[in-house]
Amino acid sequence: MSVASDQLIDRLTSELGTDSVITDRATLEAHAVDGLVPRAVCSPGDAAQVAAAIRVCGEAGAAIAPRGGGTAVALGNVPHRVDVVLRTDRLAALVEHDDANLTATMEAGMTLAHLQTHLAQRGQLLPLDPPRPDRATIGGIVAASTNGARRMFYGGVRDLVIGMKMVLPGGEQVKAGGKVVKNVAGYDMCKLFVGSLGTLGIITEVTCKMTPLPERALTIIARDGGSTAEGSGAFRLIDALFASTLQPSAIAVLSPRAGELVRAGGPGVATAVAVEGFTEAVDRHVRDITGMAAAAGLSAEVLEGPAHERLWAAVADFPRSREGEALVRLTVPPGAVATAVDALSRVDDSPVYVAHAGAGTIWIGVEAARAATVFAALTSVAGAQHGHAVLASAPPEVKRGLDVWGSPPPALSIMREIKQRFDPQQLLNPGRFVAFL
Amino acid sequence: MQELRRIVGDAHVLVEDADVIVYEQDGSILQAMPEIVVLPADVTQVSEVIRAARRAGFPIVPRGSGTGLAGGAVPAGGGVVVSLARLNRLLGVDYRNRTAELEPGVINLEVTKGVAKAGFFYAPDPSSQAACSIGGNLANNSGGPHTLAYGVTTNHALGVEVVLHDGSIVWLGGTVPDVPGYDLCGVFVGSEGTLGIVTRAIVRLMRAREDVRTLLAIFDSMDSATQAVVDITAAGIVPAALEMMDKTTIEAVERGAPAGYPRDAEAVLLLEVEGVREYTERALRMAHEVCTRAGARQVRAARDEQERQALWKGRKGAFGALGTLAPNYYVMDGVVPRSKLPQTMRAVAEIAEQYQVRIANVFHAGDGNLHPNILFDIRVPGALDRVIEAGAAILRACVAVGGSLTGEHGIGLEKRDYMEWLFSKDDLEAMTRVRLAFDPQRAFNPGKIFPTPVSCGEVRRAPARIPEGLWI
Repeated sequence: MSVASDQLIDRLTSELGTDSVITDRATLEAHAVDGLVPRAVCSPGDAAQVAAAIRVCGEAGAAIAPRGGGTAVALGNVPHRVDVVLRTDRLAALVEHDDANLTATMEAGMTLAHLQTHLAQRGQLLPLDPPRPDRATIGGIVAASTNGARRMFYGGVRDLVIGMKMVLPGGEQVKAGGKVVKNVAGYDMCKLFVGSLGTLGIITEVTCKMTPLPERALTIIARDGGSTAEGSGAFRLIDALFASTLQPSAIAVLSPRAGELVRAGGPGVATAVAVEGFTEAVDRHVRDITGMAAAAGLSAEVLEGPAHERLWAAVADFPRSREGEALVRLTVPPGAVATAVDALSRVDDSPVYVAHAGAGTIWIGVEAARAATVFAALTSVAGAQHGHAVLASAPPEVKRGLDVWGSPPPALSIMREIKQRFDPQQLLNPGRFVAFL
Repeated sequence: MQELRRIVGDAHVLVEDADVIVYEQDGSILQAMPEIVVLPADVTQVSEVIRAARRAGFPIVPRGSGTGLAGGAVPAGGGVVVSLARLNRLLGVDYRNRTAELEPGVINLEVTKGVAKAGFFYAPDPSSQAACSIGGNLANNSGGPHTLAYGVTTNHALGVEVVLHDGSIVWLGGTVPDVPGYDLCGVFVGSEGTLGIVTRAIVRLMRAREDVRTLLAIFDSMDSATQAVVDITAAGIVPAALEMMDKTTIEAVERGAPAGYPRDAEAVLLLEVEGVREYTERALRMAHEVCTRAGARQVRAARDEQERQALWKGRKGAFGALGTLAPNYYVMDGVVPRSKLPQTMRAVAEIAEQYQVRIANVFHAGDGNLHPNILFDIRVPGALDRVIEAGAAILRACVAVGGSLTGEHGIGLEKRDYMEWLFSKDDLEAMTRVRLAFDPQRAFNPGKIFPTPVSCGEVRRAPARIPEGLWI
């Protein structure tokens, strides 16, 4: 079984240096995963040190919880064990921004906000919208596959990542993909690692496709003032949008209470439609969408500049974990969002939700005490629409009684086989993934 | 054999040389005779066929329409070729959710034809789309000219039903994205028939755009043409398609199927933008300016659909027209970062000189996806060997600037021994783990993708017979 803590820490220290292995109580507690306090927190300075740390943990049989900015630490089942938290905070450099190729390569621990600042100076952006971009790291966003409302237009994490470097549980440093936007050489190993939640390897570097900064960006926000049944006006507008040839970049439907949370103001259900691009194309969208809103019985307002940015920052931030609350992610086909939202109100009197209507993802805030019941009910709602529900965040005592990922996927045996072949010692986030893999 | 006949019926098991010879080749120059060809009609039959073949110890080579360009469907190690041609039903279209459910033998173009009236399209459009199948597209993660803006096959595949090595049937992915667990649909797409056989798929449909604009820019030097591509990308225009043809290709087009390209031009660039009218007008204007600034001699914009078709005519006829220059050509499929296009095209020209071969370039410039076509006459002794060496040199040049061996055609048999230029032993070992998790005995398509020290004695080389009307 595992060697004594002292020995493990000594060996990590000899590989990484004293400053990179932290064992004081306060730090350890701040890095707990679902209440499990690690024995050490280490911050390797490069991929070779990540490999060294993994090897040391492997020899000691110590379980590792990889960690970026910690913004998705609540995602997943309660791990079986957490011995070492391996942070990527010292892997934070921009490796290369090939702006003429519209790609950039970042070390995994770089925060999204830091990357966006750099890209903006060169007129580009990475169109991902996780909660807390000031803390969320590229590696973490990729490992957790954190998608936002703009996915409908720009694609999701799996579509934007074109290359990666990772360290496998045996310490092997491998790469996947590359820096070209089209590449079919060998298996698409990036897909395997996107959303694998640190259970197959530790991502140390990521290459993504960028997009030009839009010339103009704004929001049309349409409100029903509480006059219609739950969101019916909102979904008339969305149906009209889908039937048209318009190309909004994001659509978010905010329940009245979520609207307060994201400061979208006004009573009733609000529908926010983001439009980005050339000025004349944006203007056209404003004209058409304002007309569609009126036809749907909604009052529309245009938000620009800071108001537009604040709204979408708050929408992106909605699915962050909050003390004493749980969060459910419901994924349904885009055309079934209205039905799912309607069903929500039968599960909860006054639901708090933000629906990314174009992508089919609905985030629902739930009181922790009711989380298990609501999650079970929402799992049925999702199932009825051929979708799925994930309990994306909840206190550990709630999580212990269930599988937060829902019922096991049909291909579980292959997933188990993959996990076994990559991580036979169960070193990486053991128990945290689907079916407690 | 008897078992296979029992499963699919006598008519759908082929063993005579005269029957199976049709299945010895795909769109590549590689050939190997299959031992048995089976044409199952549904998923149950596919499953039973696989069980029977495995009981008898035969490898299984899945095959769609056989338009692949890397030998992926060539039965290099013998075995049973399983053709999915009879699983060809479009099972359902859900316009509200923008998805279609279909069988693997459905021809790519039939999908868009089936949904066009309702204002939708299926985005991946490999140039062989009139003949290639969805199953083949999934296996190869196929691209096409319009994938620049819309993405390749993997970006449009939500879920696949597959039959595994033991005959079991399982869904990977689903009707929505983010299905909990590893993204096995994402892993499966592009696995070139080495993990299992797709028997059903759910793919995304896209809403047809309001407006399409096309322009043709004519350049006096390849350098300024490739610079224009870099500048268009840098200017923030995301064209739906951005295609390039060089002087040799122009010559072929004007001999074979004249499209009115000036014969003395060094390169022509074909650009298409799609979206709302306000977007396309502006993007076209910007692209026009960028091309002019980069040194275009002339820029022609199509004023109507007829003119648009005329501009595309040369591009679509380019591969067929190469026959006017030489009896044979060998299609390469390298890909480089777009920022490296100018230097890579210079490298391709140098390689042509060094190896004394003539190369016609016609390619997806916006993606950095090159298709240098090496022209040759297979009857000339030693010509094919020189062509293959020149092709390898081009791919090396692509890898040297941070590119890849293949953008959309796959590794197959053709480039498996080049994989080590791109991937370390550990990289390949990680892929092997995935392979073995799906297919522990390497029953599916053995000898493909992964470099192998054993040469396949049964593989022969001969020019492909690309059917009439196809373009690449």
